[in-house]
Amino acid sequence: MVVSRRRLLALSAGAAAAGGLGLAGCGSQRSLGAKDEITLWTWDRSVSDKLVGAAETKGIPGAEGLRLSRTNIGGNYNTKVRTTLAGKSSVPDIIAINWDVATYFPNQDEFVDLNDFGAAELKNRYLDWKWKQCVTPEGKMIAFPMDTGPTALFYRTDLLKDAGVSTDPAELAEQVPDWDAYLAFGRRLQKSRRNTVLFPHLQNVWETRLGQLPARYMTEDGEYVGGRDEIREVFELGERVLKDGLSAGVVQDSTDQYGLITSGRQPAAIGAVWWGQLAPESAAPKTKGKWRVTAPPGGAANVGGSFLAITRYSKNPEAAYKFITWLQSPENQSSAYDEMSLFPSSPRSFELPPMRKPAPFYGGQRTVDVFGKSAEQVKTAFISPYDRMLHTVFFAGMASLEAGKSVARAWKDVQDKAERELTREGAI
Amino acid sequence: MAVTESVQGSAGERRRATAGKELDGSRPLPGWRRYWPMYAAVSPFFFLFAVFGVFPVGYSIYLSFMSWDGIGDMKGVGWENYAYLLTDGDFWQSITNTLIIWVLSTVPMIFLALVIAYALHTTVRFKAFYRVAYFMPNITSIVAMTLVLGSVFSNSSGLLNNMLRAISAGEVGWLSDPWAMKVAVAAITTWRWVGYNAIICLAGLQAISSDIYEAARVDGANNRQTFFRITIPMLRPVILFVAITSTIGGLQLFTEPQVLFPDAAGNVGGPGGEATTIVLYLYQQAFIFNRFGYGAAIGWALFILIAVFSVINWRLIGGRDELAADKRKGKRRAR
Repeated sequence: MVVSRRRLLALSAGAAAAGGLGLAGCGSQRSLGAKDEITLWTWDRSVSDKLVGAAETKGIPGAEGLRLSRTNIGGNYNTKVRTTLAGKSSVPDIIAINWDVATYFPNQDEFVDLNDFGAAELKNRYLDWKWKQCVTPEGKMIAFPMDTGPTALFYRTDLLKDAGVSTDPAELAEQVPDWDAYLAFGRRLQKSRRNTVLFPHLQNVWETRLGQLPARYMTEDGEYVGGRDEIREVFELGERVLKDGLSAGVVQDSTDQYGLITSGRQPAAIGAVWWGQLAPESAAPKTKGKWRVTAPPGGAANVGGSFLAITRYSKNPEAAYKFITWLQSPENQSSAYDEMSLFPSSPRSFELPPMRKPAPFYGGQRTVDVFGKSAEQVKTAFISPYDRMLHTVFFAGMASLEAGKSVARAWKDVQDKAERELTREGAI
Repeated sequence: MAVTESVQGSAGERRRATAGKELDGSRPLPGWRRYWPMYAAVSPFFFLFAVFGVFPVGYSIYLSFMSWDGIGDMKGVGWENYAYLLTDGDFWQSITNTLIIWVLSTVPMIFLALVIAYALHTTVRFKAFYRVAYFMPNITSIVAMTLVLGSVFSNSSGLLNNMLRAISAGEVGWLSDPWAMKVAVAAITTWRWVGYNAIICLAGLQAISSDIYEAARVDGANNRQTFFRITIPMLRPVILFVAITSTIGGLQLFTEPQVLFPDAAGNVGGPGGEATTIVLYLYQQAFIFNRFGYGAAIGWALFILIAVFSVINWRLIGGRDELAADKRKGKRRAR
């Protein structure tokens, strides 16, 4: 086709007009989706595909005539959510939020208070520490509990047997109750296989140990407590791990980190429930049946987990609330665990049949007994809006030990940096 | 030239048109009524450019004087973001990192590009094939290639270290050693851009008249002399272009270090942040820590840095001729 000049002009004028209309169009609607749609934004593998699919095709249980429309947001999830909230148009009714729900506390008005819909009635169904993470210091409940990440000690029975260590979960938990014993356990394993490690890097020590402590970086009153002795001791623990050669010092989240599991160089790990799926089940499928889990040395902790929140732009927050409470009911949480390994935040679901199934990868062990107990023992530590930022500061500090910094120096650098960043944020 | 012709042409037409109108006895149309179809024809570009180009640039100036977490209310903080920038150790580290990576990638790249261009220039067979082959990396997905090369550089399971071990040369911490990390990023950048720049240099080479080479040969110049006395000086404008575009590209380096060193709990640029470039630092501050005002300030600092380096480049490589000419003129006048 030959495009004449006149035709081209007409075409581009039409395109410009359409573009203008389109831009104006997206400004006119504050809530995303059609009137009979409740829209949900998630990232991949954050909610049960089966249940969400059912709500999409058959409608939302308890909210007649409404159906769900879910979008999986790829790439930088947080940025896209923030951009949409800042744009105040086409905002989804419900958004999934990762462990760092507290970063939204300063903007709590962007979400509806779930207490207005009677959330308090359901409180005793869920783990107390998880519930508290959804509530802002002002008492507003901006999110609803989804999955959790209770930790356990994962270990490979064949490699432990070689070292002459007991492989019975109860016995091992008794022999390795704390970090001192865990390091001794590592040294013993090194006798049968020389380059054995227990940690891929020191950041892993930090993450697992911090979760076991009764407090993190800040108190609910906004006081910085990241400089206390208990925290400094984690740095000293890191130094001991290095001295014993129990950290592989690989780059975080690198191919090498999973290589440690594939090659068997790391025969044991303190990890959250999702770690089992991420590392041994994917990186070392041939070791199926050889793994077991038991209570983690040093106490229970939670790493990760996520939430669902209803935005203030929602066209029907009541229906959105109904959907969330249905999706996260103890029954549905237990089937989501069976389907996607999303560990429930409701202890009631631990007793349900889908969760009581023996796990073939763990030699038929009922892993829920270990993780469930761990989940119930997690200490309630306040997570502040600054935790995400402080986390990176302390992570980098632990990593600097690996690069050869002394504890004294690394500690001072971390404290200076934390103080500087908090002052700048106006937090202290 | 086309431009002058068209200007003269339209001026001529106008004169004729006015002449005609005067004969009719009617007044000439005001400018906008006569030219609006032309403005309408070019307006889509300017409309889109205003929305997606001018506005964000202008807005980022405004943003750089604000404190904003992306959702809540903005708060004016005056020059605070810029003041903080000057005392921010991480920012200065990111500048140092960027400059080191830039030197490590640009110097070998320009050299290699010249060599490859010369080789391509003298090839007789499969000309098109070689040109396409060298250009290929530039149009390959940068993220995909960085992921692949990331496993090549991997510390204990990587291809490169396995090769080094095979010849018992020990291993290099490509993803953990401060210098090796920069070399790895620079290598990926060089690999990606060397073919592109070689093609540009090749175009420059082809523009050099063969008369000059023949004259040199008659005068008894050898290959080395021809290369350094004719090829390089004649290529100077092309080298300047390559140097400036690589400077701008090199200072804006982002994807390679971002993909090579995945965001670990918000820390970017690998262990110790040794591969954190300026843009990567901007990304971390704005999009991980939600400090959009500070991110905008970093962006403007980067703008100043690029401007300074472009001027330096231009003085070093391009400006010499005019300077020399000025000096000569000055001398002559003095005599």
